[in-house]
Amino acid sequence: METILRVESLKKYYGKEPGVTKALDGISFQVIKGEFLGIMGSSGSGKTTLLNCLATIIKPTDGLIQMQNQDLSRLKGGQLADYRGKEIGYLFQNFELLDNLTAKENILLPLALHNVDERESKRRLELLAGYLDISQLLNKFPSQMSGGQRQRVAAARALILDPEIVFADEPTGALDSKNANTLMQKLSAMNEMENTTILMVTHDSVAASFCNRILFIKDGKLFHEIRRDYPRETQEDFYRRILKVMSTLAGGDLNVF
Amino acid sequence: MFSKLVERNSKRDRKNNGLYFGSMIISIIAFYIILSLSHQDVMLFLKKMESDAVNRLFAIVPIFYGATLVMLFFLVYFASSMQMERRKHEFGIYLTLGMRRGKLFSMLLLEDFRNNIIALGIGLPVAVAISELISLITTKIVGLGIISHRFSLSFMAVLFTVIGFLAVKFVAFIFLSGKTASKEIGELITYSPAGIKKMLPKGIYVLASVLGILLLAKTYHYGISGEAWDSPRNMGITVILGGIGTVLLFFGMRLIIGVLMNFGSKRKLHTYNFRQIQELVINRSAVLALCSLLIFSALCLFGAGVAISVNSASNREHVLDYTFKDENLEGGKGIDAGKVRKQIAEAGLKPYFSRIIEIKIGDPKDEGKVSFENIANELKDSKDSKNREILINNFEQLSDCQLISLSGYNELRKAANLKPVDLREDEAFLYMGRDFLIDETLMNNVVKTNPQIKVMGKILKITGDVQSLPVVTDREITLAEALVVSDNIFMEYTGGRYSSYVSGILAPDFVKEKGLMRAISDINEKLNETLLKYESYLQNMGRQLFFIISASYITIYLAIVFLVIANTIIGVQFLMGQRKSYRRYQTLIHLGAGYETLCKSSEKQINWYFGLPIAIALVNSFFGVQSLFTGILPSGIKVNMAQELIIAVLMILLLGVFEVIYMRIVKRNSNKYLLSLMEPKREE
Repeated sequence: METILRVESLKKYYGKEPGVTKALDGISFQVIKGEFLGIMGSSGSGKTTLLNCLATIIKPTDGLIQMQNQDLSRLKGGQLADYRGKEIGYLFQNFELLDNLTAKENILLPLALHNVDERESKRRLELLAGYLDISQLLNKFPSQMSGGQRQRVAAARALILDPEIVFADEPTGALDSKNANTLMQKLSAMNEMENTTILMVTHDSVAASFCNRILFIKDGKLFHEIRRDYPRETQEDFYRRILKVMSTLAGGDLNVF
Repeated sequence: MFSKLVERNSKRDRKNNGLYFGSMIISIIAFYIILSLSHQDVMLFLKKMESDAVNRLFAIVPIFYGATLVMLFFLVYFASSMQMERRKHEFGIYLTLGMRRGKLFSMLLLEDFRNNIIALGIGLPVAVAISELISLITTKIVGLGIISHRFSLSFMAVLFTVIGFLAVKFVAFIFLSGKTASKEIGELITYSPAGIKKMLPKGIYVLASVLGILLLAKTYHYGISGEAWDSPRNMGITVILGGIGTVLLFFGMRLIIGVLMNFGSKRKLHTYNFRQIQELVINRSAVLALCSLLIFSALCLFGAGVAISVNSASNREHVLDYTFKDENLEGGKGIDAGKVRKQIAEAGLKPYFSRIIEIKIGDPKDEGKVSFENIANELKDSKDSKNREILINNFEQLSDCQLISLSGYNELRKAANLKPVDLREDEAFLYMGRDFLIDETLMNNVVKTNPQIKVMGKILKITGDVQSLPVVTDREITLAEALVVSDNIFMEYTGGRYSSYVSGILAPDFVKEKGLMRAISDINEKLNETLLKYESYLQNMGRQLFFIISASYITIYLAIVFLVIANTIIGVQFLMGQRKSYRRYQTLIHLGAGYETLCKSSEKQINWYFGLPIAIALVNSFFGVQSLFTGILPSGIKVNMAQELIIAVLMILLLGVFEVIYMRIVKRNSNKYLLSLMEPKREE
C-alpha cells in the first residue's frame, strides 16, 4: 500500500510564553492512496489548523509533513504554488467559487494557474461534469446555482488536475441535509471509482460516515481513531460508532470500545 | 479611550486609502494656488495697467473655484461611500457592543475632521511654497526682475481654501453617515459579496455600443466642422450627444471585453483578469464614462491653454518700444523726430534709446478712389478656403486705404533687422496689419503675380512680399490694409496732408541688463517728468501677458483638478473593489496562485481599468482639440502643424505623468494588499 501523506509530530504554536496556544501539539498519522479519511473534533480542537498546515497555507512550528516522500518544509515560492494547485485539491466550506466566473471558467481556473493546456483536460472536464452531474451548469454563474450545485462545481475544480489528494474543509457545512448527502455520495463514488484520496475535516457525523477511517482530535492532539470494517459494517452502524465517540469527546474517556 | 480610537481609526483610514488622502492634499494645493492668483507678482504688476481685465479675471475665479468644489464633492462622496461600505462591519460591531448611534456619528466626524486637519496641515504650506515658486518663475520669465519679488501669503486664499474644503467634506459626511445610520445592525454586520448584476439580452449591449459610436461620430462631425460653435444651442446638442455617446459606449463595453476574453492568449489568469475588468466595467460603467469625460475635458482645456499661450507668445512681433505723440494735435501732427530727440536728450535719456523713427501716414487726396479689384480677382483664382473667402470679401469692399511713406517704413525695417527695400514710382507694397493678415502664404502668392491696383485713377503695381511690421507701438491701433509708396508719390497723392508717428526703440544692452518690462517701466517714470506724451509697449506686453497667464492658469488649474478627480475615482474604485473581493484572491491562493502571479494579474487589471477610459478620452480629445482650434481661437491666430505637434506632445506628457504616478500608486497599494492576503487569517 502506497503512503501518500505522512505527518509526524506536527506542532503549531501561537503566541509566546507564557501565553502560548498549542493549536497542534504533536500529531502523527499517515494517509494511504485511495483512502477516504475523516478528521473530526470540536471547535478549536485544531482541525482547520491541521488542514491549513497540510495545504501549506500556514507554516507549522515543528514536525514533518511528507507528501509522496517530499518534505513540504523544503518547498519554496513557485514549488509551493505548484504543490497547492497540482498535488492537492481543496474543497471549502463556503465553496469559494469566484462569483464573476462561470462554472466552467471556475473549474478550469487551476489549469490557467499552472499553465496546463485546456485541451488536455477537456476529457477530464467532461468526465467530472458527468460524475458530479453538473454538465447543464457549465455556462452558468454561481449566483444562478443552488448551494449543492455550487459545491459540486467546487469539487470539480478541486479534482480537475487529478491531484494526489483532496483536502475538504467542512464541505457539507453550508448545505442542507439533502444536498449534503448528494455531495457525499458523489465524493464517495469518486473515491471508489477513481481511487481519489480524500482527507475531509468535518463536524457532521453523517458526512463522516462516508469515510473509511476517522481521526478524532482534541486540544491539538490525536485523541482517537476508528476504522470502518468494510463491507461487514454498514454505513449506518459506522455512523452510530461515530456518534458514540463524539459523545465521549467532551468527557475525555478513551475506553469507549 | 474614545480619542485613542478616533486617532487609530483615522490613521488607519489614511494608510488604507492613501490615494484618496493624497488627492485631497493635491486639491487643497490647487485651491490655494487659484485663489491666491491676485497675490502673484505678475498679477500685481498687471493690475497697475490692465486693472479692468485683471479685475474681471479675479471676478470669475470664484466661479471656477465653486465649480471645482462641486466636482470635489462628488469625489469625496464617492470615495467616502466606498470607505463607509468597507467599514460597515466594524460599525455593526460598535453598535452591537452598545455604542449609541450619536456616539458613532461623532466618532466618525472626529476621525474625518482629524484627517482634514492633517491634509490641510500638509497641503497649505506646500501650496504656499508652490505658489511662491510659480510667482518667482513667472517674474523671471517675463523679465520683471527678481528684486521686486516679495513673499506674500494670501489670508483670504487660505481662509477660502479651508472653508471650501471643510464644507465639502462635511456635507458629504452628513449625507453618507445619514445613509449608514439608518441601516439595521444586521445589515451592517453581514458580509455581502460584490455580486453579479443581472445581464440583459446581448442585443441591448450591441445596440448601446453601436448607438454610442454613432452618437460620438456625429459629435466629432459637429465639433470639427465648426457647427457646434455656431450657437449655444448647437454647442448644447454637441455636449449632450458626446456625453450620452460615451456613456452608451461604456455601457456596451462589457460585450467587447467578453469578446477579448475569448480571443487573446490563454496565459495565466487571462479569463479571470477579463472577468474582473468586465465586472468593474459593468458595475460602474456610468462612473467610468464620467471619468473618461473628465480626462477628455482636462486634455482639451490643457490643449486650448497651451495653444492660446503658444500663439500669443509667438505671433506678436515687437519692434517699437515707444510711440510719442503730441497731446494737442490729433495723430501726433506737428510732432517730428527732431523734437522728440531734443526732448529725450534734455531729459538725459539719450543713452537709453538706440533709434528714433518717424513714419509718415496719410490718406489719398480724393477719398473712395482706391480699387483692389485685381487682388480680389487673384484671390478668387486660388484654392478654396475659409480664409480666402474672408480676404476676398475684405478686398472687394475696400475703396479707401492709407498710404505709408517708404523712407519711414524702411527705418522700421532696419529696426526689425530687415533689409531696406526699394520702390519705383509706379510700384507699391501691400501693407496689412498682423491681425488682418489671416493667411500670409496665400497673400504672398497673390502679391507675387504683381496685381495692379488703381489709386486715384493711376495704376500702381504691387510688388515684393506683403508688409506687416507694426507702425506704432500700441497694438490696439492697427492698419488693416495700406500701401507703402515711394516718398515722392506719397507727397503727391496725399497733397502734403499726413500724420507723423514718431517711435523710439530702447538700447538693446539696457534691455538685456534690466529685462524689457523693468526697462520700460523705469524709462516711463523718467519720461513722465518731461513734456513728451507717449504710448509704451508695456501696455501690449501687459495685455499679452495677461492673456497668457490667465489662460494658462485657469486651463491648467482645471485640467489638473479634473485629472486628479478622474484618476482618484478610478484608482479608489479599483482598490475598494479589490478589497471587497478579497475572498476571490484567497481562493486563488488556495488553488496555487503565487504572490507574483497575483500581482501580475492585478497589475494587468489596473492597466486595463485605467486604460479604457483614457483610451476613449484620448480619441475624444483628438477631435475635441481640433474642434477647439476651429472654434475658440481668434481668426488671426493660426495653428500650424508644428504647434499642433507641440501641443499634442505636451498633452500626452501631462497625461503620461499623471497616469504613471497614479497607476504606480494604485499598483503599489494593490500589491501591498495582496501580500497581506498571503498570510491567512483564522476564520470561523
